[in-house]
Amino acid sequence: MALWMQISSGSETPIYQQLIEQISGAIARGELRTGDKLPAVRALAAELVINPNTVARAYTLLEQSGLVTTKTGSGTFVSDPALRHADAAQINALAERMDTLISRAVNLGLDRDALVALFEKRMEKFADRLDKGEAENG
Amino acid sequence: MRFLALLRKELRESLPWLLLAGLLLLGVGLLTVHSEARFARMRYQHWSAHQGLGPGEVVNTYDLVRSPHLAWVAMWLAFIAPGLGLVLGICHFWVPLFARTWSFLLHRSTSRMSILGAKLAAAILGLLVSLGLVWTGLYWYACRPGLLPIPEPVQILVVGWIYIVIGLVAYLGTALSALSTARWYTTRIFGLVFAALAAFLILVQWHLGWVFALAVLAIAILFVQTVAAFLSREF
Amino acid sequence: MAEIVLETKGLTKYYGAKPALDHLDLRVPRGCICGFLGRNGAGKTTAIKLMLGLLTPTAGSATLLGCDSTALTPAIRQRIGYVTEGHRLLRWMTIGRLEEFQRAFFPRQWDSRLFAEMIEYFELSKRQKIKHLSNGQRAQVSLALALAPNPELLVMDDPTLGLDAAIRRQFLEGMIELITRQGRTVLFSSHILADVERVADRIVVIDRGVLRADCPLEQFRTSVRKVVLHFDNSAPADVELAGLLHFRRSERQLELTLVGVGDAEVADWARQAGAERFDFVEMNLEDQFIEFTAPPHRWRLFQWEKA
Repeated sequence: MALWMQISSGSETPIYQQLIEQISGAIARGELRTGDKLPAVRALAAELVINPNTVARAYTLLEQSGLVTTKTGSGTFVSDPALRHADAAQINALAERMDTLISRAVNLGLDRDALVALFEKRMEKFADRLDKGEAENG
Repeated sequence: MRFLALLRKELRESLPWLLLAGLLLLGVGLLTVHSEARFARMRYQHWSAHQGLGPGEVVNTYDLVRSPHLAWVAMWLAFIAPGLGLVLGICHFWVPLFARTWSFLLHRSTSRMSILGAKLAAAILGLLVSLGLVWTGLYWYACRPGLLPIPEPVQILVVGWIYIVIGLVAYLGTALSALSTARWYTTRIFGLVFAALAAFLILVQWHLGWVFALAVLAIAILFVQTVAAFLSREF
Repeated sequence: MAEIVLETKGLTKYYGAKPALDHLDLRVPRGCICGFLGRNGAGKTTAIKLMLGLLTPTAGSATLLGCDSTALTPAIRQRIGYVTEGHRLLRWMTIGRLEEFQRAFFPRQWDSRLFAEMIEYFELSKRQKIKHLSNGQRAQVSLALALAPNPELLVMDDPTLGLDAAIRRQFLEGMIELITRQGRTVLFSSHILADVERVADRIVVIDRGVLRADCPLEQFRTSVRKVVLHFDNSAPADVELAGLLHFRRSERQLELTLVGVGDAEVADWARQAGAERFDFVEMNLEDQFIEFTAPPHRWRLFQWEKA
């Protein structure tokens, strides 16, 4: 399983948030695929030297967002994309983070078209990586 | 098991001082006994060779063979014993204050009383072995027939033991002063002053009964005070 | 709610006329790592020494594993590990002899193998004398001594003070290692906020002897925050808002540090004050701690209902 996580303490982002971002990032990039098992809470806590409850909290939140499912007794697994759902609050949170990007772009002097072009270029690159990952695993 | 671990720790911490005091007493004792034995022999020979020197001269043979012997060693003991008591008291109750090891030592799965008990036991055991045993051994050695012209009186043995008991008084007095959290010029000095006073009162007694009674009384008072101070003290 | 393994009720300690600790009410539930925070001289060591019965409270009480701290029995002490400030160990002993000494007080629960492994991992030898060790090495021995008896409750008084990052990490690993065993609890004081954030799931904050927070770390992280309000005209000169810690004002901006104020309340207040817009400023734990403990001390954070 291609999961390489790095926790930085002292950051503005809470540790459980860092975990969620890295795991959901890995799922989005295809490094983690449907059915893959996430590390056990205690093992991951020991490896990253963070509190087990923080890991458990991140897993719970990931489960609530539908990215993973927990099977009692056997562990936490990446769920089927068909079962994932984004609620309004999550979309809202995403929109807010986009605001940050847009204001940075405005500060850099990018106009609307340049920003959209940049966005599309990045999307393509992301899709490429996703495809390559599929091919490797396929 | 736990008490033994504590006792071993205290004895090991006291060991250098016990060795120093014991060896000092032994060295001084052997040196004195042997040199005095030689002097006494020389004086006796001198007297025998020049017997009847002049008319009217009275010769007291006892004066010729008598010498301070163990009395001289006992004088050393009068300093060594309270000194050892003082040093052990510092070792057991003051050093942890400076080294800040009280917190480590006091969080034990045992009672505070047994932590104190191990210290007291180590001090008593130390005094008994390093001074008591050595002193009694010296007395026995000096009184073997053939070494000294006349045997030492048993009183000198008792005097030495009184000094050793005063060593214990000094130890408890030091402990009490170390455990006090008051200022030196107020009640903190009490332990040491009381010990010194008690030692003086014990030493000026003629009657052995009084010596015994005063020693027991002083040790009892200091012991009760030390226990009370240790059990209620904040560290 | 989880069982409470450590609780203080109105714990107070006066030195002369000055309180070093003033009516401390805190609770540590079983199974958590609790970071005990406070600036120098805030009363952390006093609180810890009171908990372990090394000091006698002027008022109030502390209860550890159901036993009053002034009367901790040998059986209870055997279940509690205590790492003293500065890792003051018996200097003349070798590591091996110190282990032997310590093991005598934890019969049947001493993990000799764990101790040996840790000593080897730290590249120490049991023949080394404590007095010849560096501060960091002494701390490592102290950590091994604390973990080998597998304590149910481990109390550590600023264990990582003055240690390098690698040894600090070993302490964090040790705490995580212990906490993954069932039912273990750790309370540790520290000044390194990044360390606390990593391993703690609860925090207790005291300041000048007074308890300011006793809550899950996450609650603290989300409750203490900074918001910047932008105004078209001049910003209001005065701010009246429940939960306000500090405010700074510039010509057309107002920076508020708030505790326990929800998004909606901030939005309401911003609208009433006539702000054009507002942004939350993200803070790390250290910034939050500094803002939270800077005077004036007005607002507190607790998870527990006041009894």
